[in-house]
Amino acid sequence: MSSMTTTGVKKTRFNLDLKTIGPFVALIVLFLIGILVNQAFLSTGNLTNILTRSSFIGIIAVGATFVITAGGIDLSVGSMAAFISGCMIVIMNTLAATMEPGIMIVLAGVFASVLLGSAAGFVNGFLTTKGKIEAFIVTLGTMGIYRSLVTYVADGGTLALDRGVRTIYRPVYYDSFFGIPYPVLVFLGVAILGYVLLNKTVFGRHCFAIGSNENVARYSAVHVDRIKTLTYILQGICVSIATIIYVPRLGSASGQTGTLWELEAIAAVIIGGTVLKGGYGRIWGTVVGALILTMIGNILNLTDVISNYLNGTVQGIIIVVAVFLQRGSWRKKK
Amino acid sequence: MKLPIKIMGAALGVMLALPTASALAEKFTIGVSIPTATHGWTGGVNYHAKETKKRLETTYPDLKIVLVTAADPTAQANDLEDLVSVHKIDALVILPTDGGPLTDPIRQVKESGALITVVDRALTDDTIQDIYVAGNNPELGAVSAKYIKKALGGKGDIVVLRGMPIVIDEERFDAFMEGIEGSEINVLDHKHANWNRDDGFTVMQDFLARFPKIDAVWAQDDDIALGVIEAVKQAGREEEMFIVGGAGMKDIIKRVMDGDRLTPVDVLYPPSMISTAMEITALKAVTGAPLKGTYIVGSPLITQENAKDYYFPKSPF
Amino acid sequence: MPTTMASPSTIETALVANNICKSFGPNEVLHGVSLNVVAGEVHALLGENGAGKSTLVKILSGFEAPSSGALVYEGRDVHWSSAEAENSGVILIHQEFNLAEQLTVEESIFLGREITKGPFLDKVRMRTLAQGYLQALDCYADPSARIHDLAVADKQMVELAKATSRNARVLILDEPTAVLTGKETKVLFELIRRLRAQGVAIIYISHKLEEIEEIADRITILRDGTLVGNYDANELTKDDMARLMVGRELSDLYPHILTPPEDAEIVLEVDNLKIPGVIFNASFSLKKGEILGFAGLVGAGRTALMEAIIGLTQNVSGEVRVFGKPVAYKDLSEARDDGVAYLTKDRKEKGLLLTHGLCPNFSLFSLQKFSNLLIDETAERKAFEAASKVFDLRVGDMSVPAGSLSGGNQQKLLLAKVMEVAPQIVIIDEPTRGIDVGTKSQIYQFIKELAEAGRSVILISSEMTEIIGLSHRVAVMCNGTLSGILQGADLEEHEIMRYASGLKGNGKYE
Repeated sequence: MSSMTTTGVKKTRFNLDLKTIGPFVALIVLFLIGILVNQAFLSTGNLTNILTRSSFIGIIAVGATFVITAGGIDLSVGSMAAFISGCMIVIMNTLAATMEPGIMIVLAGVFASVLLGSAAGFVNGFLTTKGKIEAFIVTLGTMGIYRSLVTYVADGGTLALDRGVRTIYRPVYYDSFFGIPYPVLVFLGVAILGYVLLNKTVFGRHCFAIGSNENVARYSAVHVDRIKTLTYILQGICVSIATIIYVPRLGSASGQTGTLWELEAIAAVIIGGTVLKGGYGRIWGTVVGALILTMIGNILNLTDVISNYLNGTVQGIIIVVAVFLQRGSWRKKK
Repeated sequence: MKLPIKIMGAALGVMLALPTASALAEKFTIGVSIPTATHGWTGGVNYHAKETKKRLETTYPDLKIVLVTAADPTAQANDLEDLVSVHKIDALVILPTDGGPLTDPIRQVKESGALITVVDRALTDDTIQDIYVAGNNPELGAVSAKYIKKALGGKGDIVVLRGMPIVIDEERFDAFMEGIEGSEINVLDHKHANWNRDDGFTVMQDFLARFPKIDAVWAQDDDIALGVIEAVKQAGREEEMFIVGGAGMKDIIKRVMDGDRLTPVDVLYPPSMISTAMEITALKAVTGAPLKGTYIVGSPLITQENAKDYYFPKSPF
Repeated sequence: MPTTMASPSTIETALVANNICKSFGPNEVLHGVSLNVVAGEVHALLGENGAGKSTLVKILSGFEAPSSGALVYEGRDVHWSSAEAENSGVILIHQEFNLAEQLTVEESIFLGREITKGPFLDKVRMRTLAQGYLQALDCYADPSARIHDLAVADKQMVELAKATSRNARVLILDEPTAVLTGKETKVLFELIRRLRAQGVAIIYISHKLEEIEEIADRITILRDGTLVGNYDANELTKDDMARLMVGRELSDLYPHILTPPEDAEIVLEVDNLKIPGVIFNASFSLKKGEILGFAGLVGAGRTALMEAIIGLTQNVSGEVRVFGKPVAYKDLSEARDDGVAYLTKDRKEKGLLLTHGLCPNFSLFSLQKFSNLLIDETAERKAFEAASKVFDLRVGDMSVPAGSLSGGNQQKLLLAKVMEVAPQIVIIDEPTRGIDVGTKSQIYQFIKELAEAGRSVILISSEMTEIIGLSHRVAVMCNGTLSGILQGADLEEHEIMRYASGLKGNGKYE
């Protein structure tokens, strides 16, 4: 490392800054590319679209940041989102059949969603900690279970929300507060809470400790199993919050809802600088990661320069480059 | 032999209505292998297959139908082996998850002596099948093109949302482009929306941000169309354009029936083609008639006038 | 200097380092160190932690390249990688073993040079050979056992077997006895003598001056990256060595510690503690202000016993009373809240988060103290700064990760971390393993202060002199049984060994 200076403090600050700033730099570069590709990119409508769209993956990824920081992984989030959406719709439709559509029905759906999310997260956490099965396998299993359950509930088709309820619920996705759409506000709120929880509380510290070395955590009186289970519950709640703002968008859920969200969420987390094997987590990085992912898709839709068939290639390259920049491995090489 | 499906259907109806339970000399087993319900259309296929199984088995007590679903070609190939070795099927009705890789496994079934009915997706060797029942993908594209051309008076700017990059999508898209050739209809851009509502929504949002004037949208599929409708509503541009979907999902048919300005028509590509295939195969079992050949299920235009003929509120699709 | 051209078969082969300098960035850590190792000698390398011994041997064995200076091996200049060095017969056995935990013993020994028969592995032959190498070391580990399941001492034997199987010409041992018991050390020394007789040059790094005195032919001493000198072993006494290493006179290493009064309160009592298959019987008591040593061979069950007391092990029978109150802790936090704390011997795997900063490491055990709803980072930092003064944490840059600290500083950080909860009963497991003399004396001083302030200490150590020098009483464990508690005149090396080996007391050694 040639950048080392005589005072160690300076050196560290320099490194730290580049690592944290990396994802932001990638975002800005992507932003500039967007402007170059199409003037429409800068329109208020388009920017709002990007922010609103990224809120699903973003909220889920905030939860994933905790799970991954504590050394776990949750592959079931996409299926979980589909399952929770499906259940919410069924519950709200059932209620709508017995009473006048009203705000109470929506609140009941929201309540059920949070309850289901926590329960699903608890199942993942419990099987990983007490069942002593690798998180990868547990959540791979629950991924399949939730996906097929929602297909079953929907009878292979699509569950559509009762029209009356839909009318009441719809503004949650489509309306805004002083020009900022509700989903974006929710996303922001979740991110701020996540940041405080991860960086300013004992729980967050314990996540870091468990992720970097479970043994050390155990020998430091950390309730390893409890904390790990809590991260999965937190992930479940984040998924449920995401579905609460997802359902009013199209008012439907099917076996296809949320496919590959788990990978997008994990990608957002990693692009943001969280270490996949645990021990380090950055909430703001995750937020930026989610924005980057959404922005790639958006920019590709705004141009016809690149063949449709190559979308995956472009996305893949940008993800890898973003992580490469953020790791800074190119600086150490010398 | 190519018969228009309407005539075939009528003929079948007559034959099936006959109380011919005794016509079956012995027990006859039909294996039905279809893709897992991962999206609306395959969901419809599953629904119709189940309904038809129930109906045929009540009509013919000696007929046994084994219904299996598979998520991918490998799983489906495994299913085929089981159907032959465990269930000893006399006939197979299959909607392949992918025609190419399943050609040889189906040939194996054929060699066991079973009658083969292939549905929707072509095999690479068409000598294997005894009966082929398929939708008409080029027709779907052509009918859509014809309607849009007419509705726009041969002139306008449109966007296209495609499915997934596979043969079906190519056939539909190419026929569509051929259909508008020579007119002054300008395709602003076309993107894949993966026969999926969420992708339909986001792709359309971006089209709306990009193009200030869009006269029509060809969504090719009703799931995509539903996403498109929401995006257009969000942008408040319902008055500016109309949307043409495809397949015949009940939600869309209902809108057509109600005279929704945004979705004036739909183009049929019915998941119920699986029922047709099962019925033809059962008929063959019952009568022993040499029912070989290709049956193409048409893709007619569904308008407000005829929509009620295509509306099945109980179907999940 | 014996740098004559010689064929490898004669015993004159040697490794020479001339004026080696090494810098990491702007930091020079070795300032022109020279060393020559003659075939057939045991050459001890002495120095405090951070003196540059490890860096020097890494250069000798090709793991690091020198910034300047030359290496001469068997008469020719070499600039080699670690692989080339190994192929030439210069083999370093690391302090932290370089074994893949999931491989078997046999696979580890032949890793990278597997014997094949045609396209297939010749497992039979490898197993036979592996068994031979191990038996020559008096080690009876099963060649098909996984490294993961071996005791630490056996892991070391596997490393040695790997080295002997490669026809080592220069064998570098970095603190080989840190993890060995007295008996195993004897076996190791026999092996070293045998290799020496075969003309192998051995570079031996250790903190244990008795061992150096016993085994070394020549001694090279380093201090702060500079060469203090090369000496013949019989020129120096242990005191000389310590003085040359530290550069100052060491007052008596073990401080005088006040004895607690006879009627001092009993703070911890353990009655008939048993863990199936691990601890067969252990009973003892600990008084306020007392230091109770725990001696025994590696694997005698001392750590297992302590982990059972503090709640890290389940399935424990027997009774434990803390301040007269019967307890059965389910995890460490319950013990902590009762004022019982445990300092692990495994700093790197169980003690510290090596990739994290010093302050988060420091506060991890006591975090509740700094937290209301949120962590009070100012209070945390202040406490850390205070503690780093108390424990004399000598680190230039407090923002480095814990893994970059020297062993001594890591141990001090671990002490600071555990002591932050102000425990009344402290269980300290091998506090001075792999630590230089200067830091050792500081840690001893600290233990003294603890006891004299009325805290009670349980001290587990494999260094006999340390146990005897610090403890008021010594409990000896043998094969899962507490075989006796010695005090007064009985507190003497040979007596302890008799209990530890099962010759005396109720422990049975199979």
